[in-house]
Amino acid sequence: MAQALIQPIITLGQLGGFGGRVLRSFVAGRWSGQEFMAQAATVASRCFLPVVLTIGPFGAVIGVQGMVILDLFSAHRLLSSLLSIFMIRELGPVLAAVLVAAQAGSSFAAELGAMRIKEEIDATAVMAVDPIGWHVVPRVLAMALVVPLLTTVANAFGVLGGYAVAVGLYGQSHGVFVAHLAENIGVYDLVASAFKGLVYGLLVGLIATWKGYNASGGAEGVGRAVNDTVVASVMFILVFNYLLSSLLFGSSS
Amino acid sequence: MTGLPEVFLRRVGGYGIFFAACVRSTFQHGVRWDRVLEESQKLGVRAFPVLATMAVFVGTNLAIQGHAAFSALGAESLVGMFVALGGVREVCPLLAATMVAAKAGTEMTAQLAVMRTKEQIDALEVMAVDPRAELVTPSLLAIMLVLPALTIISIALALVAATGVAVFQLGLQRGDFVDYMMSNITVFDLAAATLKSVFFGAIIATVSGYFGFYSERGPRGVGQATNQAVVVMCIVCISVNFALTSILYG
Amino acid sequence: MAEPIVRFTGVRKAFGDKVVLEGLDIELPRGQTSVILGPSGTGKSVFLKLLVGLLEPDEGQIEVDGVRVDGATERELFALRKKIGMLFQDGALFDSMSVGDNIAFPLRRHSDLDDDAIDAAVALRLEQVGLPGIEDQMPASLSGGMRKRVSLARAIVMEPDIVLFDEPNSGLDPVTSDEIDALIGRMKEELGISFIVISHDIVGAFAVADRIAMLYNGALVAYGTSDEVLRSQHPFVRRFLARNMDLPDLESP
Repeated sequence: MAQALIQPIITLGQLGGFGGRVLRSFVAGRWSGQEFMAQAATVASRCFLPVVLTIGPFGAVIGVQGMVILDLFSAHRLLSSLLSIFMIRELGPVLAAVLVAAQAGSSFAAELGAMRIKEEIDATAVMAVDPIGWHVVPRVLAMALVVPLLTTVANAFGVLGGYAVAVGLYGQSHGVFVAHLAENIGVYDLVASAFKGLVYGLLVGLIATWKGYNASGGAEGVGRAVNDTVVASVMFILVFNYLLSSLLFGSSS
Repeated sequence: MTGLPEVFLRRVGGYGIFFAACVRSTFQHGVRWDRVLEESQKLGVRAFPVLATMAVFVGTNLAIQGHAAFSALGAESLVGMFVALGGVREVCPLLAATMVAAKAGTEMTAQLAVMRTKEQIDALEVMAVDPRAELVTPSLLAIMLVLPALTIISIALALVAATGVAVFQLGLQRGDFVDYMMSNITVFDLAAATLKSVFFGAIIATVSGYFGFYSERGPRGVGQATNQAVVVMCIVCISVNFALTSILYG
Repeated sequence: MAEPIVRFTGVRKAFGDKVVLEGLDIELPRGQTSVILGPSGTGKSVFLKLLVGLLEPDEGQIEVDGVRVDGATERELFALRKKIGMLFQDGALFDSMSVGDNIAFPLRRHSDLDDDAIDAAVALRLEQVGLPGIEDQMPASLSGGMRKRVSLARAIVMEPDIVLFDEPNSGLDPVTSDEIDALIGRMKEELGISFIVISHDIVGAFAVADRIAMLYNGALVAYGTSDEVLRSQHPFVRRFLARNMDLPDLESP
């Protein structure tokens, strides 16, 4: 049990050290903007569908539960305002980040892990190219750019999923749904939502590249890196979500 | 992007065949309960610390969001109800499933993919041992047994954590909050959460088994299989969750 | 010639557009060591996988010990495979089990022997392959040559009628490679069963073979005793042998 308590601290330290190296390579400009754009395009195109496919049903679930519960209070009209609060402040950023971690994060870990095992990373260093700058920085930056964008997409599709249930399934009027949608949220919430996405994107990018970059032990090592990436990402996202929610929305009432 | 529907269909078909073969081989070769027990123990012990941490933070987030949403509507008393309904019915079953998928599921995929790479699955076949009954079925049953238990545990932890935040961080009345929370949890809700997690368990085990079993050989193949398995598990679990919620509560 | 142990009739196997075997007819004799020889990528591994039913041929028939392999049910295949042992290229030992448990695995699954009898059988087989007393070691701690020996011990523990060898010399240094060839020769004498070896290693092939079949581009280009193959006038055979055995290359002027 003692190990279970100390391990996170050690992990945090190592991740911080890796983040420092990434920052140094970033500041020193030893990275390619072209590679960054290529990675960002890959992440965006590969994660778009998974994000949409999961956030839609999630919004729909809120729709179902919300309609049933609000029915008890005859307060159907509140559904869209509650939906938009939860979706934009909470679920959009978290789900987008978890899905990006599962799809792009684990694939970063797999790619870099395979490169490590096949000594391609060593080869990069031997050719006097900074491997962190070349392989890691563009990927982390790509995450930082794409996750906020996907968060916004997720917010929209999540609300859409709720709309489909409320209006399509339970026959709420389109006008009522739209009228209450922005009742309790404003531009601040949209920006804060994207900001959450930015933080999670950086986190997932760092964790994934860190795990992949330090993979060892053959094919098993690659599998382990991918596995660890997903677990650690979800964990970090939830912890940071608590901190950020307290910070951004905790005192708003 | 051409050929994507074809790949998709071929994958779904392949998964169906794999699933059927797993079920058939279970009946044909019997269940190795010693292995199921061993896998269950491993899963429970390894998953618990991570899941407990996550459940605590989910509880805190539920309380904070519930408070932010309902105090804006002037209905602070509903926070307890929100935590209960959201946590028990939806979030905790999905959270436990996500965690088991991320940890046990990907591990199974990676392990099977490594065994495929090193020809160990072929070796089993040549030794006249059904690799599905040997490698997949015990994990499948273990996950289906353990996930409901983990779900119930995570519900308990999330509720406790939410109460902590509600009382100490948000300054709500403890008695009111707990009353509202507990009066909104029914046996039906707990049974539904358990049923959901049995479904999620079956999905996680068979999807991760499928991607590992048919992975490409080599480090890249192992990484790719693990990657694809996680995403597919997430999407399928969340879609199935919607279907189950609609059936159970809609 | 007595009833052959393996008979391929008009076997064709392709993966997509790539034809690996085309109209292959071959009979391998019972109780002898047959080597399938050829450069990599000529369908040798596919030949072995077809033989044990891990792959299905597109056309043609495959018989092993009088049993039709193509189109066999799983039950028939499993019954046949209990009479077959196979040494995999890198051993294919189960990483999670000790050497002893690896060798005992088929006995535990397919026989009614008690623990003492199994332990005795494992000890005997390890001694036969020249590695007595290493039951408790884990596969990861073994060298490549040792892994092959343990894999051979596992392959013969069920007292099979046929033992298959997938590239027994690959990945070994010349000295270890010679030792494996000597071991194959000795096992052949001790067990008196049918061995089928696929290999690209000419020295090893001629060292162990009673009969040699040479595959090239998915077809059989030479088949017979070592002497017969050495006298073959087929241009590819001449070239393949000349490169490796310092024979006069008949193609060059």
